[in-house]
Amino acid sequence: MSIRDLTSMAEAQGLQRKEINERLKKLQNDVSDYCYQCAKCTSGCEAHKLLELEPHKIVALLKKGLIDELVNADVIWTCMSCLKCFERCPQKVAPVEILYALKNLAVANGKQIPGQYTAILQSVLSLGLIQDIQTVTTKENITIKRDDLGLPLLSKPTDSATFQTAIMKLAIEKI
Amino acid sequence: MKKYGLYPGCLMPTEQYSYELSLRETLPLLDVELVDIPDFSCCGEPLKSVNKMMTIYLSARNLALAEKHNLDLLVPCPMCHLALSECKRILTGNEEIHEKITATLESEHLKYTGKTNLFHTVDLLYDVIGVDEIKKHVKTPFKELKTAVHYGCHLIRPTDVGRPVNAENPQKIEAILKAIGLKPIDYAQKLDCCGAPLLVNHPETSLTKTGQKLQAVQNQGFELFVDVCPWCHKMFDSRQTKAGETVATKLQVPVVYLTQLLGVALGADIEKLGFNLNQSPIEKLLLK
Repeated sequence: MSIRDLTSMAEAQGLQRKEINERLKKLQNDVSDYCYQCAKCTSGCEAHKLLELEPHKIVALLKKGLIDELVNADVIWTCMSCLKCFERCPQKVAPVEILYALKNLAVANGKQIPGQYTAILQSVLSLGLIQDIQTVTTKENITIKRDDLGLPLLSKPTDSATFQTAIMKLAIEKI
Repeated sequence: MKKYGLYPGCLMPTEQYSYELSLRETLPLLDVELVDIPDFSCCGEPLKSVNKMMTIYLSARNLALAEKHNLDLLVPCPMCHLALSECKRILTGNEEIHEKITATLESEHLKYTGKTNLFHTVDLLYDVIGVDEIKKHVKTPFKELKTAVHYGCHLIRPTDVGRPVNAENPQKIEAILKAIGLKPIDYAQKLDCCGAPLLVNHPETSLTKTGQKLQAVQNQGFELFVDVCPWCHKMFDSRQTKAGETVATKLQVPVVYLTQLLGVALGADIEKLGFNLNQSPIEKLLLK
């Protein structure tokens, strides 16, 4: 659903906005208050042309306190995390970090996570890595395993039970 | 001999073998020893959208493991390099997060102090070893091929977190390539993203991004495309044909890792640099 549809009747949520600003401060970025809508972020945004992400509008909506609407919009999941907006913001606002905060909030609120994120999460929990395929196919269609190449054993958590417990403890934590 | 722990991350040791092979083959020629450390996990960067606290923990955990072995780390993946650098920055600046992370690390019998220095392939070669030293070791220089360089977003941005290369005009890889005889030339799309971070939830668009950049490179007549990131390489090399379909072009750009080229120039055994694993048309190169 587009953000415009969601925000037409919306009311500001001050408390959640404060929470996000607190988080941004902890991560040493400046808060949305300082944004003066120069749209330098959007002019360089890699996801803008292809997926219509407009970071300066995201910041404006956050400034207005329309958090629920942002959290429910699909567009927050289109960021490529190229970090150009973080690099170039004259006010050090880092829209990419705002998008991470919104996505984290969506997950914490039990929203359905799009794409393969759940699979990646499960893989990290069970293997400690995002994947453990260890085989590749060459142009000549030959399958080669890591062992065949004389490479040392893959480094991954050996005590996976302790590792999982630690990660699960953090999974419910917020910044 | 300088000694570094190798933090391989997830992608390089599970599929991007030409990077790992060429690193392990080439760096010893420049007097660098890589030490394998067991027990590493994902750096956490791919989970930033899900829960950033988890990202910080995973990074801190890997840094603590390096501390246990008393080694600085070589982190060949820019994504991992950013996650680990950012973790160090946040834990230095925020006590509350620091406490939470330290408490959880204890359950894994680990301790984080933040003393580990991080290096990526590029700053290890350019800043630690140095271009002059590399020049001294060159055995078979390349012919002056017109070369396009791709750094990868996470290697150059954001400056505030502390990156190994300048954000708006990176030139370190170019300097290394010149030292081995190649002719790197800047192009308008140099700082563009490869699209890989979108693989997770917008795979089509992510390939379009790759296709657009490679198409521009091909149209400008580059003979070679060099990268230093396993994610970017996965897009530009492994998925080049598919990326071409999204922009309706037959792409034929030879894509190689910087370390593969360096290996050739420094006289390493070509069989051991993983060229057989590159999917892009690198045969075009070998004829030159």
